[in-house]
Order: sequence, then structure tokens, then C-alpha cells
Amino acid sequence: MAAKPDMTAIAAPQPVATLRRGVPYWLESYWALTRWHLAGLRMWVMLLVVIQIMAGAGFVLGIGLFFAHIPPVAALYVCTGVPVINLIMIGMILGPQLVAQQKLQQSYDFVRSMPVPQTAAALAWYTVCLLAGLPAVVVSLLIAEARYGIALTVSPAIVPAVLLTAFTGTMIGYGLGHAVPNPMVTQLVTQLLVFAIFGFTPILFPAWQLPHWLATLNWWFPFEHMAVIVRAGLTAGLVTGIASSYLIVAVWAVIGSAAATWALGRRG
Amino acid sequence: MSAEAAVELARTTRAGVGYWVASLRSMLRFDLARARQWAAMMLIIQILMGVGMALIYGFFYPRVSHQTALLITTGTPTLALIPLGFVMVPASVGQQKLEGTFDFTWSLPVPRSAQAVSTFLLFTVLSLPGAVLALVVSAWHYGVTLSVSPQLLPALVLSAVMAVSVGFGMALIIANPLLTNLITNALMFVVLLFTPIVFPASHLPEWLFAVDRALPFYNMAEVIRAGLTTGLVTDLASAYLILSGWTVAGWAMTAWVVGRRR
Repeated sequence: MAAKPDMTAIAAPQPVATLRRGVPYWLESYWALTRWHLAGLRMWVMLLVVIQIMAGAGFVLGIGLFFAHIPPVAALYVCTGVPVINLIMIGMILGPQLVAQQKLQQSYDFVRSMPVPQTAAALAWYTVCLLAGLPAVVVSLLIAEARYGIALTVSPAIVPAVLLTAFTGTMIGYGLGHAVPNPMVTQLVTQLLVFAIFGFTPILFPAWQLPHWLATLNWWFPFEHMAVIVRAGLTAGLVTGIASSYLIVAVWAVIGSAAATWALGRRG
Repeated sequence: MSAEAAVELARTTRAGVGYWVASLRSMLRFDLARARQWAAMMLIIQILMGVGMALIYGFFYPRVSHQTALLITTGTPTLALIPLGFVMVPASVGQQKLEGTFDFTWSLPVPRSAQAVSTFLLFTVLSLPGAVLALVVSAWHYGVTLSVSPQLLPALVLSAVMAVSVGFGMALIIANPLLTNLITNALMFVVLLFTPIVFPASHLPEWLFAVDRALPFYNMAEVIRAGLTTGLVTDLASAYLILSGWTVAGWAMTAWVVGRRR
């Protein structure tokens, strides 16, 4: 800058000097957005964690009442299934509802206009969902162990299982939230999903307790397989076919991400 | 001239039994006309909820015994009535409050007691087909033979009136619709897991059963089950008494809010 600026120099728009790409820019965006979400949702996240813990504890304790004496296998399924429900709920149900709310409040376009790479935005959201989901997973497992006296064999496989399950749930929710234009439809779809995931997918009980056609149908959806991979990390010898389950959950992660990418790449 | 130009006062008296009955009739027509928009949707949701829950409970058992199937089937009407009274009625009031329709209706020159009675009647009548249909589907699914007795009718009607009254009273007494929404959802969750509607009460710890006996949900299931089976339910008198008590409590909540001037 000259010491004595003349009019033309001031009027000319100055191009941005920093490059908006590259790994450092990506990391910076990711970190900024994670903080943005955590700060913006701080009350919400705390409330969500509490609600999730209460819901998880409720499932674990309540399902025991269905039986006079709960069979050990049923107890094991419930104990290892509730954390999966915890993991799916935040990303898959509350994520889209949040986007729907942003659309109703018209802050959606503002958030999208921020100069942040889309992948950084998606991963920031995933981080927030994971952080909000994990406390309930741990508490549900502890309560389940205490209530049913089940000894879980936690193996290192639990880490990729939890990470992938949360990722797929979050990405499906992310795709759903962004791809469905009408917020009311999003609300309706997510509410139906809660009901269906809780009752009609073999997460809290073995698949063979479902009618045959429903069990077959479930094989194509990720929910049963999420339960399989998480269960594989918590128990020994209860589940088989882990490799194909990982594959199917991963495919759904790709489908969710693709839907989100498509929806976000459109020009409105 | 000036005397004739003065606004003429309405000649009819806005009081008395005749006026109240006429008001009720108009309100029923008004409410029915509005209900055309959502009544079918409500029926579908109610049946799906009732039948869906009846199916889901069955999935949790490795083997559904005859006793379990009987309990689930006879619990189905209760499962269909609870979401209607305790979720849909408050949600409808909440929506009317947000839209401003609620204040408009209150401003009509009709006794508010007639408005409340009209709402109770409408929702009670609308809730019964869904409950019966859900029962039929559930009985067919589980292959259960029921012995239907005439006392099913008063049981269903009292349960429906109670659920609608308490749901409506709750929606009126809690000013914030969002809070009502939160409470009703939490209530559903707790009721579906911790109330012996489709499983025997003997599974519960004693303190929890004592709580459930005081709340309306278990008692609904008991009186309805008594109309569908023989020899399964005892102590019906207290169940009817508690349900009546909750109905009156719902009316009292409504009367208290409706009677206040703002």
C-alpha cells in the first residue's frame, strides 16, 4: 500500500490473497466448522446426550420386563443392540431434523454459503454426531452389564465398528437432510425411520425372530449389519459373516455420501 | 331518528340449557367440518401405531406362547388409544395454538364448556374405529380367539374418553406447545416400556407396579382385557374407579383453564 492512497487504488476490489484449497486450508475449515457446530448447538448437544443416555437406559431396563426371566441370549442382544441405536439416532434422525429446522428458519443458505470445502463440512458434522453419541453408548453398556450380569468381551474391533456405524448413520442422515427439499417431509420420514429401526430391524433381537420376508428385506439395509459389526466387537462367537456386514455398511456410507454430494452440488 | 339508528341489541339470550345445546350442536358441526382434513390420516396413523406396536412386541420373544399372544392382542386397543389421546390430541391443540386458531375458536360466542365437550365427543368417536380395527388385525395375526363380552363397550368408551380428556387437559394446562410435545413423547416412551400392557404385571418390581396402578395406562389395558377374555382380569372395580378419577381430573384441568379470563 502506498503511504498516500489515491482514489482509484481504494475503489479497486482487492482479490483474496489466501488460497482456498490444500490440506492446511481443509484442516482449518474442518476445525472451524466443528467448533462452529459445537458452539451453536452447545445447549442442544448437552440435552441430546442426556436424552440419549435416558433412552438407552430405558431400553436396556425396560426390555427386561417383557420376560419373566430374560434368556441370556435375548439379554445379550439387547445389551449390544442399544449402543447401535444410540449411534444411529443422532446422525440419522437428529441430523436431518436439524437441517430441516435450518431450512425453516432460513439459516440453511447462510450456512451453505460459508467458504468451506464440502468434505470438511461433512466430516465436521460427523465428528459432532460421534461426540454426542459416544457417552450414551458407554453408559448403556455399563447399565446393561450391571442389570443383566453379562460379561462382554471387548475387542479392538469395536473401534472401527463404532466409527463406521456412526459414519454410515450420519451420512445417510446427511444425504436425507440435504436431498429432501421439504422440511416437513424430512420430519415425517425421520419419524417413520425411528419407528421402523426400533421395531422392524433386527438390532435388539436376532433376525430369525422376524418373519422370513422381513428378515430377507433387512439384509439389504445397513441396520442389521451395523448391529453385527458392533456386536462382533463386544462379544465372542455370537455373530458370523462380519466381512460381508462391513461391506454392506460401507456401501451404505457411500450411498449416503453420494446423495449428500449430489444434493449439495446442485445449484439452487 | 337517533333512537332508531342505535345498534339493536341481540334479542336472544346467550344463556340457558337450550342455548348450550344449540352451541354444542354448532361446535360439533364446526369441529367435524375441520376434522375432514385430518381424520383419515389420524385413523391410519392410529392403526399403524396399534398394529405396529403389537407386531414389534412379538418380535422380542424367541417364541411367542399362547399366553403372550393373548396378552399382546388384548393390549392392542390400549396401544391404539394411548397415542391418540396422549399424543395426537395435545399435538392438535399445540398446532392450533401456534396457528392462532385456538384463540379464534375461544372468541366464538359459544360457551367454552360446549367447545370442550364437542372436542371430547369428536375425538372419542374418532378414536374407536382405529382401536377396534387394530384389535381385529392383531387377533388375526396372532391367531387368538377372543371371548368378547358386552362390557367391552363401556371399557373402550371410558378408556377413550379418559385418554382424550387427560390429553386435552394436559395440552391446555401447559402453556408452551413445545413443552407439551416433549412431555407427551417422553410419556409414550416410558409407557410403552414400563407399563404392563402387553406383558404380565408380575414381571415388574413391586414399587413400579404400584406406580402403574395409580396411572391410567395399566388400568385401560385391564378393563379392555376384561371385555375380551374371561378369568384373566381381577379387581376390575378399582381399575374403573381409577380411570374415572383420571377422566374427572382431565375435565378439571380443562375447566380450570377454560374458566380463567386472560
